[in-house]
Amino acid sequence: MISLQLKNSLKFPVTAKCISPDALQDKSLEEIEKLKIWVGNKKKELRELFKIEIRGSEREVIHVYGDLTKVRGIGAEMTMGELTIHGNTGMHLGEEMKGGKIIVYGNTGDWTGSMMKNGTIEIYGNTGNYLGAPYRGLDKGMSGGKIIVHGNVKNEAGAYMQNGIIRVYGSAGQFAGLRMKDGTIYIQKKCGERVGANMRGGKIIVQGFLKSVLPTFTIEDLRDKVKIENEEIIKEPFYLFLGDLAEDGKGKLYISKKKNPHLNFYEKFLEGEKIE
Amino acid sequence: MMEVFKAVTCPVCACLCDDLEVTVDKGKIVDVKNGCAFSKSKLLNYNGKQRVLKPLIRKGNDFAEVSYDEAVKQAAKLLTEANYPLFYGWSMTSCEAIRVGIELAEEIGGVIDTTSTICHGPSTLGIQDVGLVSSTLGQVRHRADLIIYWGSNPLIAHPRHMERYTVFSKGRFQEKRKLVVVDVRETETAKKADLFIRIEPNKDFEVLQALRVLIRDDELDVEKVAGIPVATLEKLAEMMVECKFGALFFGSGLTMTEGKNRNVDAAISLIRDLNRITKFIIMPMRGHFNVTGADMVFTWQTGFPYAVDFSMGYPRYNPGETSAIDILLRQESDAALVVASDPVATLPRKAAEHLVKNPLIVVDPHMSATAKLADIVLPSTFVGIEAKGTAYRMDNVPLPLKKIVEPPTGILSDEDILSKILFEVRRLKENAS
Repeated sequence: MISLQLKNSLKFPVTAKCISPDALQDKSLEEIEKLKIWVGNKKKELRELFKIEIRGSEREVIHVYGDLTKVRGIGAEMTMGELTIHGNTGMHLGEEMKGGKIIVYGNTGDWTGSMMKNGTIEIYGNTGNYLGAPYRGLDKGMSGGKIIVHGNVKNEAGAYMQNGIIRVYGSAGQFAGLRMKDGTIYIQKKCGERVGANMRGGKIIVQGFLKSVLPTFTIEDLRDKVKIENEEIIKEPFYLFLGDLAEDGKGKLYISKKKNPHLNFYEKFLEGEKIE
Repeated sequence: MMEVFKAVTCPVCACLCDDLEVTVDKGKIVDVKNGCAFSKSKLLNYNGKQRVLKPLIRKGNDFAEVSYDEAVKQAAKLLTEANYPLFYGWSMTSCEAIRVGIELAEEIGGVIDTTSTICHGPSTLGIQDVGLVSSTLGQVRHRADLIIYWGSNPLIAHPRHMERYTVFSKGRFQEKRKLVVVDVRETETAKKADLFIRIEPNKDFEVLQALRVLIRDDELDVEKVAGIPVATLEKLAEMMVECKFGALFFGSGLTMTEGKNRNVDAAISLIRDLNRITKFIIMPMRGHFNVTGADMVFTWQTGFPYAVDFSMGYPRYNPGETSAIDILLRQESDAALVVASDPVATLPRKAAEHLVKNPLIVVDPHMSATAKLADIVLPSTFVGIEAKGTAYRMDNVPLPLKKIVEPPTGILSDEDILSKILFEVRRLKENAS
């Protein structure tokens, strides 16, 4: 096991893509200590910021301690191993991750799991905007793997999602699942408006309150249960909407009926269908 | 002797009206013809009491007058020592000065951002996501038969836009046009409209998306969108589909309300969809006279239009991470150089507080709110009045800015001041190595 303990609190942004099992597993303690990282516009060695220790032989397991809110890109492109962060982290955690597991006992910044391809990220706190989403101008987000957030997420979670699953046990901001093509997003509590905007495919399940559905979604059915993944099924009534019509989309939006009585006016369209 | 300068480009808003006639008498501007109220006000009153005529360095609560050399030396030292300096402003100076500013940011390894970040930055993000169907203002003037202003009030903010390019202008092929205004309140522009649609605040995205469905003759499950009956939106959709050449202009009413870049994304997508049926263009109503030029110079020098981070030695761009307000709110910068802008008056209070807490260098002709709180003030000339240069109109057309009168004795241009700082920074770095 490799452990990194942050020495002093940080003021300037730090880019530390080298904190990942792939980068550290073959290196000696001395080599790890001398790894270069950027602190603002100055280049420093990893040992200037962290107290580093190696214990036992499990080199693909890393534990990081301290408030890493300013540290960006931890676990980027990792393919294997386990990375546990005891504290908050900054942006781009697990960006383009291809395998392994990241566990965070704290909050994470924007672009967590950005464009991830495989592996698992589990966050016990809250996360920022653009969860799993691509960077500016790119149109392919998360394409596989799993992100579990026990707290809340901000805007545009799962934007441009291609595949994989995002589970949020707290609430979500606006534009969850923006322009998604496939995959699943599950939001247990309150969900911000514009969920599924411009989606073409995939599935979004909102079990909590949703103020309104975009006008460009059309009601399809009232289901008595919905499947999240594998054998996991929520047995309560859900409205099923299809959209986004603006993009000729076939995305599925499941909204809890129990938590959203204000959406019951859509039921008149379903009754009409039955008469036909 | 009176001298009349013709075809002067106005250095106020991004309309860059290039038909001003400015009369100069004994080195002073005495008359301005063709200009709007803003233009006349600036050209006749620019040289007022707020003018700074000597470089200043803070000494406690006061400023001490120093020479340019001394101020430049101090500024270069502060910037070179900084770990994450911010270079902000740029929308009210020439492309030539902006070019030097970018070189300086790269040399030091700082973050350089323009005022786009607080107005049309989201437009750029939207454009990068879905592209842009646009044209020059000349094409709009001569050919457009439907004009839409969305979240924009040109009669007040860009006074000659309608007169020169849209509803009040007479084009070669098109003399009459219809005007549609979409806004949250009845603005002066809305009062002139053939169709005014007053939507609920922060609901632009829903309306634009609904229109994308309606122009295809598809139906919606709802009866109202953003408080507007679907029948009214169908009327607008019909006008859009039936026009020969439509133009949609949008302002901060779209870019800075809930949804931001996604609103612009929806607006551009609507225009893209409309181009399957007819000819339609879309254009952001840019504010400051050279904010478009700042985007241009940034793009050709760094590959990115604003919010460029050189801290790791190469340009990186990620608004939200590398944009000025976000950096200031996260309290990450430790020095700043502000050029041709007044962030203390325009940024959110918390951001402005962090800006003035750290070493702050201001290059500005005036004692602006930011300059008053600065550590070093470097007075400069007014581009387009006392110095020549290049600026870009909102439709990305470059126009020359003229030098009409001499600046006060000894006052340098933005470009010269920045070149001096750059020279000094390079000297300091050479000595250090």
